[in-house]
Amino acid sequence: MGIASLSALDETQVAAVRAEHPGAFGGIGHQIRRWAPWAIALVYVIGSLWYFEIWKLADASERVWDLLRNFVVWRDMADWQYANIYKGIAQTLAMAFLGTLMGTIGALFVGFLAARNVMRIPLLRHVVRRFLDILRGVDQLVWGLVFVRAVGLGPLAGVLAIFVSDLGTLSKLYSEAIENIDRKQVEGIRSTGAGPLAIIRYGYIPQVLPVFISQSLYFLESNTRSATILGIVGAGGIGMIIIERFRASLYDQVAFVVLNVLVLIFAIDWLSKRIRLWLIGVRHD
Amino acid sequence: MSDIIMMGGSAGATGDAPHDAVHAFERHRAELRASKRVWNILLLAGFAICLGLSIYISQFYPDRLASGVPRIFEYFGTIIPDLQWDLLFEGRTEEGRAVPGSLTYWYTDFWDYVGLIFETILMAITATLLGTFFAFILSFSASANLAPSRWAYWISRRVFELSRGIPEILLALVFVFMIGIGPLAGVLAIAIHTTGALGKLFSEVNENASSRPIEGITAVGGTWAEKMAYGVVPQVAPNFFSYAMLRFEINVRASSIIGFVGAGGIGQELNRVISFYSDDRVLAVLILVVLTVTVIDLISERIRHGFIGKENF
Amino acid sequence: MLKLEKLTRKFGENIAVGNATIEIPDGQMVGIIGRSGAGKSTLLRLLNRLIDPSEGQILFGDTDIAQLSGKELRAWRSDCAMIFQQFNLVGRLDVITNVLTGRLHTIPTWRSMAQVFTPRERAFAIQALDRLGMAHTALQKAETLSGGQQQRVAIARALAQEPKILLADEPIASLDPMNAKIVMDALRDINKQDGITVICNLHTLDTARQYCDRIIGMQDGRIVFDGTPDLLTTAMAREIYGAEAHEAFNEAATSTSIPAAQPVRELA
Repeated sequence: MGIASLSALDETQVAAVRAEHPGAFGGIGHQIRRWAPWAIALVYVIGSLWYFEIWKLADASERVWDLLRNFVVWRDMADWQYANIYKGIAQTLAMAFLGTLMGTIGALFVGFLAARNVMRIPLLRHVVRRFLDILRGVDQLVWGLVFVRAVGLGPLAGVLAIFVSDLGTLSKLYSEAIENIDRKQVEGIRSTGAGPLAIIRYGYIPQVLPVFISQSLYFLESNTRSATILGIVGAGGIGMIIIERFRASLYDQVAFVVLNVLVLIFAIDWLSKRIRLWLIGVRHD
Repeated sequence: MSDIIMMGGSAGATGDAPHDAVHAFERHRAELRASKRVWNILLLAGFAICLGLSIYISQFYPDRLASGVPRIFEYFGTIIPDLQWDLLFEGRTEEGRAVPGSLTYWYTDFWDYVGLIFETILMAITATLLGTFFAFILSFSASANLAPSRWAYWISRRVFELSRGIPEILLALVFVFMIGIGPLAGVLAIAIHTTGALGKLFSEVNENASSRPIEGITAVGGTWAEKMAYGVVPQVAPNFFSYAMLRFEINVRASSIIGFVGAGGIGQELNRVISFYSDDRVLAVLILVVLTVTVIDLISERIRHGFIGKENF
Repeated sequence: MLKLEKLTRKFGENIAVGNATIEIPDGQMVGIIGRSGAGKSTLLRLLNRLIDPSEGQILFGDTDIAQLSGKELRAWRSDCAMIFQQFNLVGRLDVITNVLTGRLHTIPTWRSMAQVFTPRERAFAIQALDRLGMAHTALQKAETLSGGQQQRVAIARALAQEPKILLADEPIASLDPMNAKIVMDALRDINKQDGITVICNLHTLDTARQYCDRIIGMQDGRIVFDGTPDLLTTAMAREIYGAEAHEAFNEAATSTSIPAAQPVRELA
């Protein structure tokens, strides 16, 4: 082979190489296989957006501007009932705290019931697990709606919604942590002749407690975030204030509240990151 | 004796330690406890204050709970369908009426629900595709190692943070107001949230990509876009795909509830039956929703595992 | 003609390459030797402009490469192919696409983004691969190849660029002697047959002596030797390599010469 140059290649040489290495050139089938997924995705997105009536976006311009203006131009800021807003934020935090606490306490019991190495009766264990599946399968917001219907508007419904969905998720996580423990330590306790409760207290708890605590702290964080929207279905907290003022067309106030919520969410993210770092640091020394 | 047991429980096997070790351990433990006692008291006090405040603020008093809990069970009693074994599979009568106690009666509006669930899944797919697309486009400039310039990095980071910071249901509320009730509002809200959530994950994947292929493409004279397309994308594509599929599962859940604010899908029906009826329709819709979410999860898991298996091969 | 004029690169206070002034006529095969950290790699990266110079000029013809940016800079990189110690291929792409990336500079953006290459370009890439005996791997993923094979693909990619200069940054440092010989033979073949200037960083002395028309020795960022291989005395080489002399002179360890019949007794 001599000096190679792309421009010096003539058609017969290209054809010769192609005959020798047909795979490297890719036939029609290869082309179709390569482009078809993209074409399908594109056609699908355009088609589905059409089905969802995308043109409504164009018709909406007037209201969009109206809304955006209201979001930016804030009027009569003196009568915005700030106490009400911050009470709502406090309520959100309280809901998250109580809900997580109750969920944690509940999961402490249910988690053991669902763990294979603690609960020796398969039937009971399966019943508990399916029950947890149901709690998890239904979204927190749906629980919120259901509890609003059952116990009325207000934070109680929110706390219950957080409690129920946390119970489902935390119990599962806890039971997994329990199943993953070191069996030798438990046998050590059992060999001393301890009863079942003592075995759990000294054999299981010391091993799983750090996992439990970190999981619950993480859930406290994520619940504070989700509690802000529980109010949209009437389950108390800041979300309820947002939806009330939205319905009353007080968009500038809505913008203000949403801004507060965003600050709250970012603050919680930041704080929980710090706490986790601090906890890890403490555990090291 | 009990201390030895605790030691065994928390510090592992120390069975054959010399006798002295027990005393040393005891002393050490006493010191530790003394220094930690202050912290424990402070923590406990802080916890008690939080608890008290929370109970006060959310008016979570025992009497309210006591009056509330029975109502919960009462409510759950009303949504249980009144099915009768002998009539369970009874069809419609000649006048086209379903027999009370039969499945047909319970699921009178079955085909309406199926239509709405279909719409819910379509919403999730569209929103995931749109969100993935925008997250993909922006993720390269949001990666510290790939960003073409400082301001592009800053802007794309802020776009991601903002679009995942706002809860999607709030976005949906705003969109419903802007463009009216219907699935489009939900799709847009979920797509925006997906952009933010996936964008963060994608840019983290990008930041872990090996720089060698990128350097190789730089050295052949490739533009920034070519460096991304040839040097980065082949490395990160499998991870992007997994994350997008996981997000799709989350989005199916989201689109099944986003209808609470009128943004389309089965959620709208769910909201309607829960808020306005206290009957077995609630459970009928709920069961369908949970079933849908579970089935989608299973399918998506299959696809992800199949895909990863193929990639590794 | 490539001309370096007082080329300098500092990293903070540390001078990686200082005041390098060299003239390299077209078609020469140049080996740069020196111990690790002597600035060989930085010098090569400066030539390809993977690193920007702090001071000085790089003249190729009448253009100052050090001043190029944007499109012109990419054009220069495309003219000045580079191969790396770790090959820097895209592992998850197939071999032929890796070679075709050598054409990126010449094709319109929409084609490069959609990975559309013409049959002529593909034939050219196959020919480049064939020249290195790698055409049969064209459809494999690059990461499935051995190190030596990957380096040959990397050379094919460089050939696909139709470069005027070929830079090789420690091309054989990660390879076994057998593959190292194949790679060095290929580089010399490209130099002799195509008349492409090859500038090659080498860690081992004997390889440089065996393959290069000219050897440049670097020490602490400065050029301390520049001449034909026969001018490089053992004393000079010891000075260049300093403490690493033993490793560099140990021909059996990393060199391209393969003792054919007798066992490698020196290693024991």
